[in-house]
Amino acid sequence: MNLSRRKLLKMGLLAVCGTVIPLSALEIFKPEAAASLIHPYSEKKRWAFVVDTTKCVGCGMCVKACKLENEVPFDTDVQRTWVERYVQLKNGEVIIDSPHGARYGFTKNDPQGHDVDEAEVAKGLFVPKLCNHCEKPSCVQVCPVGATYKTDDGVVLVDRKWCIGCGYCITNCPYFARFFHPITNTADKCTFCYHRITKGLNTACSDACAFGVRKIGLINDPSSEVFKIINTERVMVLKPEYGNEPHVFYIGLDDIVR
Amino acid sequence: MEAAELAHGALWTIREGFTYPNEYIYWTIHIVVYPYITGLVAGAFVLSSMYHVFGKEELKPVARFSLVFSFALLLMAPSPLMLHLTQPLNSVELMLTPHFYSAIAAFTIVYLSYMAVVLAEIWFVFRPFIIEQAKEKKGLLGLIYNAMTLGSFDVSEKARHTDEKIIKILAAVGIPAAALLHGYVGFIFGSVKTVPLWKTPLMPFIFLMSAIISGVAGCIVTYILGMALKRNFICGASIRSMCKVLVWFLVAAIVLEGVDLIFHGYTAEESWGIMSELLFQRFAFKMIVVQWLLGMILPLFLLLLPRLTMFRAFTSATLVLIGVFMMRWDVVIGGQSMSRSFAGFLTYKMPIIPNSIEAFREGPFPIGFLMIMPFILLFIFNRVLPVFTEVFNEDDCGFTEGLLTKKDHAKH
Amino acid sequence: MSHAWRPVFVVLAVVVTMLVVRVIFVPSDFAAKNGDYKYQWHRLASEQFWKDFSVKHKGREFCQQCHSELVDKIKDSGHQNVQCENCHAMSDPAKKSHPINLKEDFGYLLDIGVDRSRELCKRCHAELSYRPPTYTTTKGTVKFKMIDPTKHNPGVECVMCHDVHTAGFKTTGK
Repeated sequence: MNLSRRKLLKMGLLAVCGTVIPLSALEIFKPEAAASLIHPYSEKKRWAFVVDTTKCVGCGMCVKACKLENEVPFDTDVQRTWVERYVQLKNGEVIIDSPHGARYGFTKNDPQGHDVDEAEVAKGLFVPKLCNHCEKPSCVQVCPVGATYKTDDGVVLVDRKWCIGCGYCITNCPYFARFFHPITNTADKCTFCYHRITKGLNTACSDACAFGVRKIGLINDPSSEVFKIINTERVMVLKPEYGNEPHVFYIGLDDIVR
Repeated sequence: MEAAELAHGALWTIREGFTYPNEYIYWTIHIVVYPYITGLVAGAFVLSSMYHVFGKEELKPVARFSLVFSFALLLMAPSPLMLHLTQPLNSVELMLTPHFYSAIAAFTIVYLSYMAVVLAEIWFVFRPFIIEQAKEKKGLLGLIYNAMTLGSFDVSEKARHTDEKIIKILAAVGIPAAALLHGYVGFIFGSVKTVPLWKTPLMPFIFLMSAIISGVAGCIVTYILGMALKRNFICGASIRSMCKVLVWFLVAAIVLEGVDLIFHGYTAEESWGIMSELLFQRFAFKMIVVQWLLGMILPLFLLLLPRLTMFRAFTSATLVLIGVFMMRWDVVIGGQSMSRSFAGFLTYKMPIIPNSIEAFREGPFPIGFLMIMPFILLFIFNRVLPVFTEVFNEDDCGFTEGLLTKKDHAKH
Repeated sequence: MSHAWRPVFVVLAVVVTMLVVRVIFVPSDFAAKNGDYKYQWHRLASEQFWKDFSVKHKGREFCQQCHSELVDKIKDSGHQNVQCENCHAMSDPAKKSHPINLKEDFGYLLDIGVDRSRELCKRCHAELSYRPPTYTTTKGTVKFKMIDPTKHNPGVECVMCHDVHTAGFKTTGK
């Protein structure tokens, strides 16, 4: 009696597994399922950004557009997005700079203000940077009054009315994406152009980019370009060791990038 | 460029090599002074508790004074923070909507509860005096004393006995509270994962040890100066006892800070390249010479030499005070001096000339005022309460000294 | 127990006062959204503040309303990916030169002007060995034209010879 029941259970289990497993195996060929192997897939809207450094020419138009769009005083040396230049010389020396956040672009081979002969350059690249809108933002974690927060769609924002200006969030950002806004005197940062993306527009910086370096999109939406790139190409994030789970993905990074 | 459009931090930061474009020294002199003051608070309180809890009789002449000194410092502790905030008026939100995932949010609770303990202890210690004054004095002063009695005029034998018991309990409770007040400041730094110099679990303990040595040293210096100014007898036994406490905690501080440094060097993580340049070149004088040699090793040596003199105790305590201030500077400014890109340095240059509001706020004047204020407060408190009246004469001192060693007693 | 309780009453009074103050002054919409106290503890109205922030870059569609000719021209050129505002939005309000007050008439907030400086063109076209050699347009992959500004007609405005809107040479010399 007992034995036969056990047998029946076993058979039933086998039959169920036998049909379910092959079917579920097909699941991983769906892009959204493949994505779930990297990031737990959820239907929740979540903004993410892709930066293709291989296409960046360092014109700095993104920086200019961002400053004008978001009312960050143009002549002040703080910016929500900026472009860094990495030049490796043939003698192995690496020179990095980002004069004024590159809001006037790079027009000369003069990293750190010193002219370098083109013949000495081994390689170089431009790396646009912005707030990484981390899944676990360490800046938000340390705000003592709840003046900075993550929205439901993954964008990290600052409450200008509530910020006390202690600077703890600035200190806790591994990327230095935060600064004090010279006019409001509160912490400020990239908002992924929240006023634009919530209206169906692109961010100001990606609109200003003539080379298709910057892309904003929903990481869970299979029709978005960001989704496609993250799930089909080799992408990297900056400083993953801090455990913040940044959501700006880079194509073509190099080990000299900091 | 107009001054109004200068980035917050650009006024006092000089950048070299590659630093991120938004990277400035955001935590400046105020954040150096803040842990220094809370450190003095904690240290002074621990010293007063040594008399009340552990019954160290020879500390009696400094027990009341160090308690009130601790309170005077505690009153000034939030002011550097207020000067530091870019929106100081919003600071009340710390009480309204605290976000306890942030170490800073604990400030109100830790600070106020510690304040409650210290105030209560002061009340119980000075209660008989307050009641006496409330009965005698007329006018405004009388009103103040009357308010300070909280409406209780009970000075019976039984009530006094209850007071003694409660003081003991409060002094005991105050020790962990003081440790918490300062340990949490260490936590604020130790938990910043982006600054390699700060990120160590030892940070709260390092801060605590240096807090106690600075507090004890502060009491030694103020006690000697206060007594000398009033031309009162300075009890050698008290000084000797305080120096003994100082020696023990100095050793602990040296061990902890040394272990931290050795681990940074031995594990040699990515940041060590730039950190070693910072510690051994750029901050070599501030850190190795002032903080380590002058601030810890030399005082320890001076205190350990046989036959301690008043002058030597005073010198060592002053050196410790300077050394601990330098330690705060090296931690706060040094930590931010390394670019987070590990490819550049930031140099802090305090704006001396107050040619704008920001330059004044960040300059030496408010800080100088802050550092003098506790002593002014102490002076005022001394007018209202008998902070220094519990003075030992030579006989009292000799007696307690006799309790210490017979040889010392014989000298007097 | 007599007098010993008095400090306790003082502490209780302070705590009660603080709680009352809290109730009065905390905004009613302050909440831990989704129960996420760690990352979503905030004033909900702040989200709306950022959603309502003014959109300033309005793109080609906006300029097209009057300058359809130029927009059509550039759409067919090598500069087809370059937005009007990249070159025409002035970071310095003093350089504003648009004849019509765009702010009052169209609610357009950027300062529009014309920048003929070599510096502007050099942002993309100054030769740097590490600049990507090609870029992509609707016409496929195109070689990216770069010049050495120190050798290529120094001191002369680029627009002397080049027509920016066709990304070619000017046909009718001025």
